[in-house]
Amino acid sequence: MPVRLEIRLKKELLDAEGYSIKRKAKEYFGYEVERIRVIRVITIEAQLDEPQLERIRDDLFTNPVTEKSSYSPLAEDFDWLIRVGYRPGVRDTAGSTAQEAVEDLLGITFREEEAIFTSKLFEVKGDIQKECVETIAKYLLANEIIQQWKVISKEQWDPLIGIGHITPKVIIAKSPSVSEIPIESDEDLEKISKERNLALNPRDIPVIRNYFLRDDIREKRKKMGLDLPTDVEIEYISQARSDHCNHNTFRGLFRYRDLSTGEAVTVDNLFKTCIEAPTLAIQKEKDWVVSVLWDNAGVGRFDDDHLYVITGETHNSPSNMEAYGGAITGIVGIYRDPMGTGLGSRLILGMYGFCVGPRNYAGDLSPHLHPRRLLDGVIEGVRDGGNKSGIPTPYGLLLFDESYLGKCLVFVTAMGIMPARVTGRPSHEKAARPGDLIIMCGGRVGKDGIHGVTAASETFSEHTPAGHVQIGDPYTQKKMHDFLIEARDEGLFSFITDNGGGGLSSSIGESARFSNGCRVDLDRVPLKYEGLDQWEIWVSESQERMTLAVSPKNIERFMELSRKHAVESTVLGEFNDSGYLRLDYKGKTCAYVRMDFLESEFPKWEFDAEWIPPVLRGLAEPVITEPTGYGAILRTLLARPNICSRNWIARQYDHEVQGGSVIKPLVGKNRDVPGDAAVVRPILSSLRGIAVSQALCPHYSAIDTYNMVANAIDEAVRKVIAVGGDPRHLGGVDNFCWPTIQFDERLNPDGKYKAAQLVRANWALRDYCLAYGIPLLSGKDSMYIDGNLAGPYGERRRVSGLPTLLFTVCSVIEDIAGCVSMDAKCAGDLVYLLGKTRDELGGSEYYQMLGYTGANVPAVDAKRSFQSYQLLSSAMKKGLVASCHAVSRGGLAVHLALVAMAGEIGMDLDLGAIQADKGLSTSRRLFSESAGRFIITVSEEGQEAFETAMSGSPAALIGRCVNTGSFKLRRGDEIVMSEDVMALKECWKGPFGGLV
Amino acid sequence: MKKVRALVLTGYGLNCDYETDYSLKTAGADSHRVHINQIISPASLQPKNSLDPYQILVFGGGFSWGDDHGAGVLMAAKIRHHLGEELSSFISEGKLVLGICNGFQAMVNLGLVPAFGMKYRERTVALTYNDSGNFIDTWVNLRVNNLSPCIFTQGIDTIELPVRHGEGKFFAEDERIGRLLTDNQVVLTYADRMGKQAKGAWPANPNGSLGDIAGICDPTGRLFGLMPHPEAYNHFTNHPDWTRKKECLSRKGKVPPSGEGDGIRIFRNAVDYARENL
Repeated sequence: MPVRLEIRLKKELLDAEGYSIKRKAKEYFGYEVERIRVIRVITIEAQLDEPQLERIRDDLFTNPVTEKSSYSPLAEDFDWLIRVGYRPGVRDTAGSTAQEAVEDLLGITFREEEAIFTSKLFEVKGDIQKECVETIAKYLLANEIIQQWKVISKEQWDPLIGIGHITPKVIIAKSPSVSEIPIESDEDLEKISKERNLALNPRDIPVIRNYFLRDDIREKRKKMGLDLPTDVEIEYISQARSDHCNHNTFRGLFRYRDLSTGEAVTVDNLFKTCIEAPTLAIQKEKDWVVSVLWDNAGVGRFDDDHLYVITGETHNSPSNMEAYGGAITGIVGIYRDPMGTGLGSRLILGMYGFCVGPRNYAGDLSPHLHPRRLLDGVIEGVRDGGNKSGIPTPYGLLLFDESYLGKCLVFVTAMGIMPARVTGRPSHEKAARPGDLIIMCGGRVGKDGIHGVTAASETFSEHTPAGHVQIGDPYTQKKMHDFLIEARDEGLFSFITDNGGGGLSSSIGESARFSNGCRVDLDRVPLKYEGLDQWEIWVSESQERMTLAVSPKNIERFMELSRKHAVESTVLGEFNDSGYLRLDYKGKTCAYVRMDFLESEFPKWEFDAEWIPPVLRGLAEPVITEPTGYGAILRTLLARPNICSRNWIARQYDHEVQGGSVIKPLVGKNRDVPGDAAVVRPILSSLRGIAVSQALCPHYSAIDTYNMVANAIDEAVRKVIAVGGDPRHLGGVDNFCWPTIQFDERLNPDGKYKAAQLVRANWALRDYCLAYGIPLLSGKDSMYIDGNLAGPYGERRRVSGLPTLLFTVCSVIEDIAGCVSMDAKCAGDLVYLLGKTRDELGGSEYYQMLGYTGANVPAVDAKRSFQSYQLLSSAMKKGLVASCHAVSRGGLAVHLALVAMAGEIGMDLDLGAIQADKGLSTSRRLFSESAGRFIITVSEEGQEAFETAMSGSPAALIGRCVNTGSFKLRRGDEIVMSEDVMALKECWKGPFGGLV
Repeated sequence: MKKVRALVLTGYGLNCDYETDYSLKTAGADSHRVHINQIISPASLQPKNSLDPYQILVFGGGFSWGDDHGAGVLMAAKIRHHLGEELSSFISEGKLVLGICNGFQAMVNLGLVPAFGMKYRERTVALTYNDSGNFIDTWVNLRVNNLSPCIFTQGIDTIELPVRHGEGKFFAEDERIGRLLTDNQVVLTYADRMGKQAKGAWPANPNGSLGDIAGICDPTGRLFGLMPHPEAYNHFTNHPDWTRKKECLSRKGKVPPSGEGDGIRIFRNAVDYARENL
């Protein structure tokens, strides 16, 4: 009989968790609740005697100063009681650390069937209907995919029994089995693909069938006791062939046609032509580019003794289903990529990018999670994932748009650092060698995450399997991280990679390519619970696992270190050069596939791409007369959700851990305005720094995705340069998120246009990376950012996200003492605008505010711009620049105001002095989003030296900082606006100012 | 010069070990990062590290055991269970213990501070959930109680440091708070930018700590726990205003900031004391 320990805060203490639920109930649903208080429940299913139970209650689970606890029900004085606990099989980290602590304290070991589970009770006090309490339970406290809940009324409550004993154990009453897959016809296999949710591409099906029907293959299989393909094999192949793992879209064939000119061109492989080719060309010219395009992340040189590692990806589908779990799994997951790059790097920072529907969305459609709740969830997921990993999160972006109601985007980016050599070997190289043992270390395998990869490759629907949602466990991973760094430094392994999408099937499958074969005992894989089929063990995406190759001579020491760090490591088999991937279960072979099968013969995916230029789509510049209320426009713009302050997010993220923070996420006199880029000092004894920034401009996609990409790259580059980044060292990461591009008359009638948008985006990526000298150190693509949302009339509507590229730029700074922040510093300082302002308001925040799209999307003149960036960078190195800020969304007025607000200082500026198109109107000067521009402040004494340094560039002196506190813009003698800086700041902070 | 050896604990989700180790080294210590299991030593692990050769023990920041059962709680249980006696002799030999953030939480749960009447096992105060209900990363202004016997803060009047925690609210019964104050065991309190006591007001007091308490010591002043992170101000570029200070000072013809951050002073005090007294 399990026992239940209940723990609660003493009455005199503020129950902050309960209070915040009460606040959310009011904010989300308008419910007035008198009080909510929380009871933590620890359900112990183990043979413990009375003294043992008392001992763990006192020593482990009750703080005598703040808490009271009891093995009898504690709930009292409530109108409703809500219980929330995990569903069976969902990772309960608190439960497992509780078990670890109990075992340690009592010196016992739990038996297989014994366990500890955690859950919570919420006492709700107030005059509130049952339906409302259920809404709170369902939408605020629990997520039904991973948790179960129950509401009990005061009347139903029996204080002697309490909530009962609920132990969410997984019990699978079947023994593992392998089944054969019929492949008599293509239809057979297609049917299986649908039934098993394999998402096999119809064109792959004949190739798979042909392989298994080949005489020579059948002969070999027969010797292994195999005939028809097994489910293990078919699952393996479908994982490996999924778009997520194989990037079939980017490697596909595009028949591109411009519908206005009729010009047609065939693009064979976007990856090769637009990513690989330019990156390899740039690598030849830049000796700091160390390792690109093959490993889990890209590698650049930090200094003679250290290399840095960078990568980024998205975790959209899971976050859309379960925001917290999806996001924490995303951030913890991306951290494994640098850990699995080369011989493994130590993590030094993480970044986030959230694209979601409007926080106050009140329209007709019902997304799976309301954007407000979804946003809260993803923020908290990245918070716990980053903070608990001990990795700073110093940078991030948030963008609202209704198009992301269909599927939210959750970008996660990570950087690591490693010694350039490990026991004498270059650290960026690795290979599994024949004879090496295959090791899995970290977490155990359960049913969680099965078919995550194939689900990410599909449009979200009500049939998406819920099983692919999981909760990342930063604690388990942090232990593994510390262990692996120590094992690396002793030179104990020759290869390492992470278990992400596809689980062991992809980590072992891919690493076996180095040795050309492997043999695995699936029955050796440590499981969370019994009953998994062989194929499930092979493709499960249970988190926090790495796969390594360890030479037999090192295995003893490796296991010893693993024990020291309390990390589970298991030998699963060995790498060999047999040319086959072979999986055994209890001595019987259940998969036997040629290593070269996945590299061969699969037909390319093909797409028709039809570009309809903006004019043909009816886009034109809006007709607006010159406004007069410039100040009012600025105040309105500053309070718009995509411009205003979102400080509450950055403050929840530990951005100082590791002790190397140089430029923080929030800067300025009151430390409350976002910095252009983050700078960290990863090696504390060195003055070198890493600067990193990100940008996304999806609103320009409505006009032309070529410009969308060009602007994202230019903006990210400028932000890195603005803090002191080196234009000679710009490393890029491209993260594409795109709606489905496969044309379907009924389901995706504009697929051909979306495909053309993708082609044009890639062309811009190629062109601007070449122009700025940016190798693409890493990148990922995530297609299918569509959703079918329920409308009010029983219909479902397809919502496709804006084509989006998140572009990341990193740079190495020789001396961090030369870094610059964006806030204006001193009264009397001169204000310069570098770069030309043009009639480019298409897709701008200003047009959007007025309800227009426009046509004149900003164009990036890379060649001219880059020359002036280089001049600016050398002026900064000479210490001539007091502050520097890249102008981006919102235009000049918004960004001048941000610089003034950050410094809490007035400005007196002449818009007539800026470099601009001839006759450009005042509103266009203020709100155009032309690329290539910086706002720079310079001390009076520095004027001559700065102007000399910048000569030949389009830099214009436009005014000064003043200590009047007034933000004054003139055009010649005419006053355009005169606003109080602190009042502007209040507008800017207004919308989300109350959030913590 | 006499070598001062410092031990920084690692493992089980602790995470500020690199910068704490760096800060101790900068302050002149021979510092070592040592995994918890290496000193509590299950029989299978060799070699065992003993606390004996060390003069300074640091419980650093992080999320020990994931912190799901109250911050620092399981860490304290593990240490008490396996290292209780060794730690007692470490303390009775007059050696120094510093607990930062999660380490402070662990020290409080172990009873190492405040240890009224030198009782080093009694839990009398707590660090609980921030009033805001959320994790916060922000720099705070701190006042040092000059009357406190704390070794670590000698010669410091005020200091700015970052806090980064979700459970940093100092809580105890009124009578105990009173005793902490009268015995001068309150070492650090949150203040506003002008250096005035925060008096509970957010954001100067970032978590609702009673008495604005940010750090306390034992009656001897050799055991010190604090929520803010001195190791995260190890270099002048860690300070949130350094780019502003640099400009303002250079306009006045003054030397801009450089070198170590103020946080190192706390470590240097410890190292200097250990060198002279231990």
